[in-house]
Amino acid sequence: MGRFKNNKKGRVNVKPIAMKKNNQANVDHVTGDKIPKSFVFSRTKLPASVKQLQMDLRKLMLPYTALSLKEKKRNTLRDFLNVSGPMGVTHFLMLKKTASALSLRVARTPQGPTLTFKIHQYSLASDIAQSQLRPRCPPDLFKNPPLIVLSGFGTQELHLKLATIMFQNIFPAIDINTVKLSTCQRLVLLNYNKDTKLIDFRHYSIRLQPVGVSRRLRKFVEKHEVPDLRNLQDVSDFVTKAGYGSESEGDEEAATVTLSSDLGRVNRGSTKSAVKLQEIGPRMTMQLVKVEEGLCSGGIIFDESENGDEKIAKKKQNEDGEEEEGEEGSEEEMDEDLE
Amino acid sequence: MAKKKEKVVDSGLDTIKSTVHHHSEFFDTLVELIPARFYLPDETERKWFPGLSKAQKARAKRKTTENLKKARRDRLDPEKSALTTLDLLKQKIEKEKKKLSNVVAEDDDDDDDDESEEETDGRKAKSDSVTYEELRQRLHRKIDELKGGRGGSERPRSHEKRKKIVPNKRKREKTVEEEEDKAKLDVEEAAKDLTYGYVKIDDDEEHGKGSKKRRLSKSRELERALKLEAAKKDPEKGEVIAKKHSWQAATSRAAGIKVHDDPKLLKQSIHKEKKRQEKNAEKWKERVEGQQKVRVEKQQKRSGNIAERIEQNKQRKIAKREKKLMRPGFEGRKEGVINDGK
Repeated sequence: MGRFKNNKKGRVNVKPIAMKKNNQANVDHVTGDKIPKSFVFSRTKLPASVKQLQMDLRKLMLPYTALSLKEKKRNTLRDFLNVSGPMGVTHFLMLKKTASALSLRVARTPQGPTLTFKIHQYSLASDIAQSQLRPRCPPDLFKNPPLIVLSGFGTQELHLKLATIMFQNIFPAIDINTVKLSTCQRLVLLNYNKDTKLIDFRHYSIRLQPVGVSRRLRKFVEKHEVPDLRNLQDVSDFVTKAGYGSESEGDEEAATVTLSSDLGRVNRGSTKSAVKLQEIGPRMTMQLVKVEEGLCSGGIIFDESENGDEKIAKKKQNEDGEEEEGEEGSEEEMDEDLE
Repeated sequence: MAKKKEKVVDSGLDTIKSTVHHHSEFFDTLVELIPARFYLPDETERKWFPGLSKAQKARAKRKTTENLKKARRDRLDPEKSALTTLDLLKQKIEKEKKKLSNVVAEDDDDDDDDESEEETDGRKAKSDSVTYEELRQRLHRKIDELKGGRGGSERPRSHEKRKKIVPNKRKREKTVEEEEDKAKLDVEEAAKDLTYGYVKIDDDEEHGKGSKKRRLSKSRELERALKLEAAKKDPEKGEVIAKKHSWQAATSRAAGIKVHDDPKLLKQSIHKEKKRQEKNAEKWKERVEGQQKVRVEKQQKRSGNIAERIEQNKQRKIAKREKKLMRPGFEGRKEGVINDGK
């Protein structure tokens, strides 16, 4: 790995785990593109639950992130920037907890724009797992990057467009020709609500189940559990008994896909399979508050509170009737038209 | 016959009494084995707690040590009677009886001790049970208050969610079709506004790669950046241009394309490149010089060695020639006639 510059202020104490294990390729062997990698960290001290949220976010971004990134108090953003160059890290996700709000900043290194989201509510992965009857975590769930789906963002508003592009670039692209179905195991869903301007963030694990098979047979093939044949006269009864389908089978007619190839033992290619999503990982409700040109610096090109400022400026205009305020108001109106 | 029965009954009673007596003796011996301070609850006040000042702590300590010494003395003193656990227990029971009788005397003015005892026992049991239930109710009320006052969170309550709601199976067939139609409508609506992650198909190339051929040199980029800055400062359209550019730049940076629009950074990088080139040129010069020097040295050394060798060969030949003429009595080569006439 490249040598790091020693800052005059102090040494870099960032120890990502990628150093010890096999070095991850910067460039995807197949597509030839650069694989986007990320750091999830915080520069301030975090309370315990927010630290867990940070850990959940790190797991979400696996495998292209530093899972056990250690940050010290004297590491500034500059240090992280210096390390990210040689390591090929492209995105920073920074959590910050202040008295008023918890905010998540998504930024692109080295000069990229910074999107600041204010997190209104969040749930930890462990809470969600506790609330479920059968939480599911197959062993290689975090070995492949997740897919991402954005809904309700639209293509009109500039800041939303920027947000979609940002999120689309955090995760590596899928190459249709070479991708294996078994590697698509996780899904990140972002839903934008126009009325409340809130973005829902959800993280699911994908599971495929064959459709049209009675429940008993399916369970038997999947789990190899010996069924209870006490009350049956004959094995044919077990096979042909009209069982009720799963509760939600009727609803998910639309959620069935025809697989192109076999996936595992159960789901055969060219037959219908149902896609089932089970929620893992953190759940967040956030609002895009600020967009800055640089990495936590530079001009602010979008600010949620601008609308509030405009109203205040107009009020002043009405009250005082001074020329200066009038000019300001007209300028901001012009900006509004542009946006 | 009756007498016999009485006798049998009497002897039965006697055996019961003796067995009970045996049992009580056994328990008494057991109780006596246990020292009093472990068996009976300590009714003295706890004089020590963590909030005491230094002086208070010292006083308490002194008192306890004194008490200990006194107790030890009394225990080992043959004159004073040692109170066994059993005696203390009996004392305690008598005290309680007296207390109860006093209470009863206040309430009922009843002289009969046995009856009062039973009644008090009964009432005590009743009062105990009443207070117990009351306590339980109070506890439940408090819990509910606390639950309500906490403010309803949307956190999924685990014990509530665990109850699986199994719908009535007969009605399912009717509602399944309705739900299917609903689901289709929802899906159609939602599918209009969905954006997915990037998927690479061989047909379209990403815009980043396509424009790589048009990469400008840094100086050209610097010119462009300066022009842009000037345009931004333009009073008329400056704002518009600035906004448009910043959004464009942010979008393309988010997509991974490098945007060079800061003249300061560009100048810095041009400067760095120049310095690097200069350094490399210097190194090359030094290298060439060094090579030359080495070459020249080697040549010199070689020619020096050759000349030396020639010299040596010559000298060897002379020496060889001269050796022949080193006869005894002669000093080498003739140098002319002795008496030459000069």
